[in-house]
Amino acid sequence: MSLPNDDNMSPHAQLSSHFFGDLLDSVIADVASECHRIARLGLDRNLDEEEEELRLSAQARAMVADSSNSGETTSKYVVDIFGQTHPPVATEIFDCMNCGRSIVAGRFAPHLEKCMGKGRKARLKVTRSSTAAQNRYSRGSPSSTYSYSNSTSMNRLSNGAPGVAGEEYSNGSFEEL
Amino acid sequence: MSTRNPSYTNPKSCKHLADYKLRHRLNGFNSLQEHLKTTPAGKSSVSQSQTKIPRCGFCDGYRERLYLCLICSSVSCSSHTLLHSQSENGHDIAVDVERSELYCVLCCDQVYDPDFDRTVMLKHIMDLPPNRSGVADEEGAVRRSSKRRRLVSGLEFDSKKSKQMVSMRDRRAKSCYPWGLRGLNNLGSTCFMNSVLQALLHAPPFRNYFLSDQHNHEVCRKRSSDRLCLPCDIDVIFSAVFSGDRLPYSPAQFLYSWWQHSTNLASYEQQDAHEFFISVLDGIHEKEGKARSPSIDNGDCQCIAHRVFSGLLRSDVTCMCCGFTSTTYDPCIDISVNLDTPNCSPTGLANKSVKPNENTGISTLVGCLDLFTKPEKLGSDQKFFCENCQERQDSVKQMSIKRLPSVLCLHIKRFEHSPARKMSRKIDRYLQFPFGLDMNPYLSSSVVRNRFGNRIFAFEGDDLDTSAEYEIFAVVTHSGMLDSGHYVTYLRLTNQWYKCDDAWITEVDEGVVRASQCYMLFYVQKTLYYKANEDLSCQPISSRRDPFVPIAGCC
Repeated sequence: MSLPNDDNMSPHAQLSSHFFGDLLDSVIADVASECHRIARLGLDRNLDEEEEELRLSAQARAMVADSSNSGETTSKYVVDIFGQTHPPVATEIFDCMNCGRSIVAGRFAPHLEKCMGKGRKARLKVTRSSTAAQNRYSRGSPSSTYSYSNSTSMNRLSNGAPGVAGEEYSNGSFEEL
Repeated sequence: MSTRNPSYTNPKSCKHLADYKLRHRLNGFNSLQEHLKTTPAGKSSVSQSQTKIPRCGFCDGYRERLYLCLICSSVSCSSHTLLHSQSENGHDIAVDVERSELYCVLCCDQVYDPDFDRTVMLKHIMDLPPNRSGVADEEGAVRRSSKRRRLVSGLEFDSKKSKQMVSMRDRRAKSCYPWGLRGLNNLGSTCFMNSVLQALLHAPPFRNYFLSDQHNHEVCRKRSSDRLCLPCDIDVIFSAVFSGDRLPYSPAQFLYSWWQHSTNLASYEQQDAHEFFISVLDGIHEKEGKARSPSIDNGDCQCIAHRVFSGLLRSDVTCMCCGFTSTTYDPCIDISVNLDTPNCSPTGLANKSVKPNENTGISTLVGCLDLFTKPEKLGSDQKFFCENCQERQDSVKQMSIKRLPSVLCLHIKRFEHSPARKMSRKIDRYLQFPFGLDMNPYLSSSVVRNRFGNRIFAFEGDDLDTSAEYEIFAVVTHSGMLDSGHYVTYLRLTNQWYKCDDAWITEVDEGVVRASQCYMLFYVQKTLYYKANEDLSCQPISSRRDPFVPIAGCC
């Protein structure tokens, strides 16, 4: 902070500059005094740990940035800790608690939503969910943003009355899009 | 006094201060007391006269830092204090006039003394408008702490019981991984649910409750005609996940009941993990809260959701005119914090080459919590009606945590709503979070103490202890965009991190977790964390690989 030279200033400006300087000094002393107290009373005892955590975090980020090319996108094809691989869309089949039909696990939520026939956006959601499910392979890419305004209206046209429980599924699989 | 403040390292007073106190006892402090003035914001200063500006007795200056001699009340500026003590033998201790801090002239250092701080605080309390000053000791504080002790011992009991359960299941075990690791099938965009369930399944006190059969779904179904019971559905998931089965589990029944439960919610379409978390705990409370009458001495709910997750927030609104403080308490089951704006100073960026490990410019959880408990000036449009002044005044609001839960859920507000553009967007910024978190600085007692200049003084409910220290055990991360993202949970079990990505459970390095984009953070009290690890570890780490599991590529 460099204050302008006193010589070229009007007395008025000089005065305010002095006041400003005094106030600034006082504020600095306030902060210094406060910090001194905190340090002496040991209220900052976490400082070292916090710095260590920050260092570890920076290190981790650098490491992850380096190896990011080998990437998360393939995570669906990895082997889990038990040595198992799983299909991208869960294939377990069970009966819907609501209508009793056989449903494949990976499609259960959109089915149930329709099946229960409730909710303002039930129809939207079904489209969205199945879109998301189909796009699982390309997860993380922006292409998975759904454009449901179109498909919703298509749905309405093709499916007829909304909220009818599960009529369009004969064998538990969906052919919506 | 200071023995009641375990968070302090007891300040060691210098020889000169000790000498002074020996000779003059508290006389100097006491005569100074009536000249102490405190601003409504809590800062103290010494003011001997209403009209006269204090000046240095040697140079008549008033612009330097001024000190008042505790023995003769003469004022000297920082350049002349030493001169004063040389001319007047033994006049070594002075008070910083503007800050009312003790100063030892011979040591040239600010010094701290519990009795002096007490003098300052007592004067402050006398000056404040009566009652609800924010510092007065409450009966409630005492009652609460006794209640917490009981709660903790209750949890210990749970944990003992569940330890037996775990060791019983141990013998049937084929796996040498920590108990309860099982993938959850994605039922069609239900990763928001899976991610939160994984965290709940491994929240130690919550897990202990269900594993020790305190809500058994079979017993509950027999007893109650009400078929809709969320705790029962959670109990079913616990049984499934802790059964030792390794095939991913489909929480379909749970989804079905939860949707039936939440039909009365305005928005049926829940995709947000945090909303889901709140709604599940509400569902549990609804069922369990009825069964258990609230404890008699305070109205706290005894249901498992609240016993584990519920804390108490305190909000102080202080009048900037008279210092009157109005305090309100609100229960919470999680703490939502705003992302702090990193202090990206241009110089910090320019100096990158100088400091390669430059950490400014990174948002940190500690920064978010600082922001959460920072005093906030209320705008002129929301002036607060001061009961003491009997009119609307400028005021400052400050949040703090009155009581911490045993499991602390922190939610990072990553979804920003812009009312102007009627749009929501996700803030995709990295947030650094520590594995070990000390919540002491955010407790009401610390926050209030800090407001009054960190004086050594026993503030209301000053029960700082190790229970404010937390260890992380689960991180729910969100990647992608607002609508089409993906939730993944990282679980920390027996000090190893596991990534729970729907059906896939994999081991990950802690660096992956540190670098992840956190959305919800789950911390558990340190003591419970270590206890839980003892319970979980079933085999020495050296033999953790199961020989019967085919390794990829070898078959």
